[in-house]
Amino acid sequence: MSSIKYDDYLLKDKLPLFWCGGCGNGNVLGSILRAFANLKFKRQKTVVVTGIGCWGKADDYINTNTFHGTHGRALAFATGIKLANPDLNVIALMGDGDGATIGGNHLIHAARRNVDITAVLVNNFNYGMTGGQYSGTTPEHSFTSTSRYGHIEEGFDLCKLAAAAGAPFVARGTVYGITQLDKLVEQALCKKGFSFVEVITPCPTHFGRLNGLKTASLMLNWIKENSVTKNQAEKMSDGEIRGKFVTGVFVDVDKEDYSTRYKKLQQRAAEAVEGGCDK
Amino acid sequence: MTVKGNVRFIQGNEAMAEGALAAGARFFAGYPITPSSEIAEVSSRRLPKLGGVYVQMEDEIGSIAAVIGASVAGKKSFTATSGPGFSLMQENLGVAVMAEVPCVIINVQRSGPSTGLATKPAQGDVMQCRWGTHGDHGIIVLSPSSVQDCYDLTIKAFSLAEEYRTPVILLADEIVGHMREKVVFQELQTDEIKVRKAPGCSPEYYKPFRLGEGVTPLACYGGEHVFRVSGSTHDEWGFACSRPGNAEKYIRHYTEKIENNRDRIVLTREYNLSDAEYTIVTFGCTTRSALEAMYIARSTGKRVGVLELVTLWPFAEESVMEACQNARAVIVPEMNLGQVLREVQRVVGRNIPVVGVNKVDSKAIRPAEILDKIREVETCLV
Amino acid sequence: MKDRWEIILSGVGGQGLILSGTILGEAAVVYEGKNATLTSSYGTETRGTFTKSDIIISSGDIYFPEVTKADIVLALAPVAYDRCISDMDKDAVLIYDSDLITDVKNTGVRQYGCPITQTARRLGNATAANLVALGIIARMTGVVSETSVIKAIGDRFPAKSQVAELNIKAFKGGVIICKINLYTGQGVGWK
Repeated sequence: MSSIKYDDYLLKDKLPLFWCGGCGNGNVLGSILRAFANLKFKRQKTVVVTGIGCWGKADDYINTNTFHGTHGRALAFATGIKLANPDLNVIALMGDGDGATIGGNHLIHAARRNVDITAVLVNNFNYGMTGGQYSGTTPEHSFTSTSRYGHIEEGFDLCKLAAAAGAPFVARGTVYGITQLDKLVEQALCKKGFSFVEVITPCPTHFGRLNGLKTASLMLNWIKENSVTKNQAEKMSDGEIRGKFVTGVFVDVDKEDYSTRYKKLQQRAAEAVEGGCDK
Repeated sequence: MTVKGNVRFIQGNEAMAEGALAAGARFFAGYPITPSSEIAEVSSRRLPKLGGVYVQMEDEIGSIAAVIGASVAGKKSFTATSGPGFSLMQENLGVAVMAEVPCVIINVQRSGPSTGLATKPAQGDVMQCRWGTHGDHGIIVLSPSSVQDCYDLTIKAFSLAEEYRTPVILLADEIVGHMREKVVFQELQTDEIKVRKAPGCSPEYYKPFRLGEGVTPLACYGGEHVFRVSGSTHDEWGFACSRPGNAEKYIRHYTEKIENNRDRIVLTREYNLSDAEYTIVTFGCTTRSALEAMYIARSTGKRVGVLELVTLWPFAEESVMEACQNARAVIVPEMNLGQVLREVQRVVGRNIPVVGVNKVDSKAIRPAEILDKIREVETCLV
Repeated sequence: MKDRWEIILSGVGGQGLILSGTILGEAAVVYEGKNATLTSSYGTETRGTFTKSDIIISSGDIYFPEVTKADIVLALAPVAYDRCISDMDKDAVLIYDSDLITDVKNTGVRQYGCPITQTARRLGNATAANLVALGIIARMTGVVSETSVIKAIGDRFPAKSQVAELNIKAFKGGVIICKINLYTGQGVGWK
């Protein structure tokens, strides 16, 4: 029996990829498809749900079941899909504007509810598709097409957010560290429960251009220079860690997922005697 | 509850939830909102007993998204809300239209705009149902006027949703939703419950958005057929497609698949129309005031008839035309400032006076108010 | 025999008047094959403010579900009494809880004060006042039989449970008050 390869999940006739030169989305797509292959995911049993934005186009290249919905709502569609058929592998692909800004509420509630979905959130610090406006993760003082005088808001630390909301698996990788990313995505897909992987990725076309990082190599270098591992971070002061991308697995705990709990609820309900209005 | 046979004395909201379950719905996602919350409560108690799923989402945007997702994953799905929540659902309602996903959205109308009078009735969402989501599309909207209707029309809504692969809106109102009344849970004929058929073709040939030869069956995630669903303009395979000709074809399709089947979708009820000098065109809770007014008028010798629009959209143009063409005047009572009135005027034209009894004070239109309007019109016509 | 009854149950939120109306409607619809409607108006508060339920029972069809010509108005709280007494149809009869309503206004309306809360308390719990009131109304109008109401109460609560027994006792207490203190339906001039 021949082994399964990442490109068994790739719609090759849709290539070349639609993303700009220097964009990291293709690399993240590679990590995801390699993980599908390693885990031998059945196309029939897998649904990739995307939001809207550059990364929201990822489903165009994937040959599993796909659902391309609305901006920010991928996790809400994914919740319905997973709860209706818990046997499916459900993966939600979202960007930072999509999944963490307009869709931030769905993110924290999906994490709290612990629905068995893997969310891969690609963070390029701005809205690439609409021309590089600032998002909920844009770093303070950086420049975007709508923060020309320097951004005055602080960006979310999405891993802390997901962890605080109760996600049993939370990790961050970068497009610079693909080997690590491959591993993180695979671990996330294996996790029973809500798993969250944030991927720091370059957008030289928009974010890079306005922040002195207008080539792919400058941006990748910037990501490399600013990345620290979780172990390194633990030895750093708050001041030193500001603006750095801490990578690694932050949360990995076992928790009963929503569908397992719901199955028990269904059993309790089946045994319960239907009462009148006041019992 | 042990009751004699299948006769109950329950709220419209409870009857809608029971109707949904009878129709085979096994997934509810929603967010609590007055005056629809009893639908969520009944669903939360009953669904898990039937192996179904009830989930309370973080908002109405997420609720309708989960409903659409669950439907594509193979469960008959529904949600229930009221005006403010229905407003939040509009964008994703468009996804259900564009991706042709069957689902049922119950809107128990309350007074608006905004928070309005949160516990009080209104009928102000007629146009929001029709045009609330952006872009051209057809939509099916049914409006119950009794608790029996709440049960029967919910079942009907699920059938229409599956038949035409479309979201169907059940447009109820606070009066019908909260009123307790007699309802009989009739035994359903097998053809009344529409079961989703799996695509007949082999997986590699399955085009989920193929046009022509009726409505293409929708597969379910997890089955043999691997397929793509998209809210972007797409081709017959579900791939994003920006060709102008393709967009034109599909956007027309969303309207035509509803409008071209008006004969099978439009339901109306006629009362004493054959000799009516005055025709009342009505829907939802106001039907009850109209019928009371009609019987009072008839008892004094005045020839009044009623046309009830059970299907609000697509609009019952033929029935309205027929019911009004021989009338001296047409009265349209509604708890809004003339949303159906203008439709009736459009259909009837200028030769027959069409006047509204419009109320937005949160009180039901009383039969006497309709009778007053008929008298007023009578005086003008003499 | 009068075949259409229009009844208003008024009080404050939390008194269980909607439950009384529901039981009355269930008795009529499920056990006597009649038609009934029950509509309620209430504020955004769950408890404490004025509430009013309209119940119509008829052997014929019921269209407009709000009471337009009341036969009986029940007031279980001063705020309800004050609002109802000023808006009474001349043919209607007002039943009020004489334990809670002491400031009685003489407007020429036929009104009867009954020790509703006290009766409920004596029978076990003041919260069953709504069922005592139901007993009075059922007996006074004869709109449904006592047996039907008792069956409808039985459907709502676990069989032979304390709460079922209390509610049935309270209902019967209301029936007795009516027998002792009030005219029967015939007596107040209903046809």
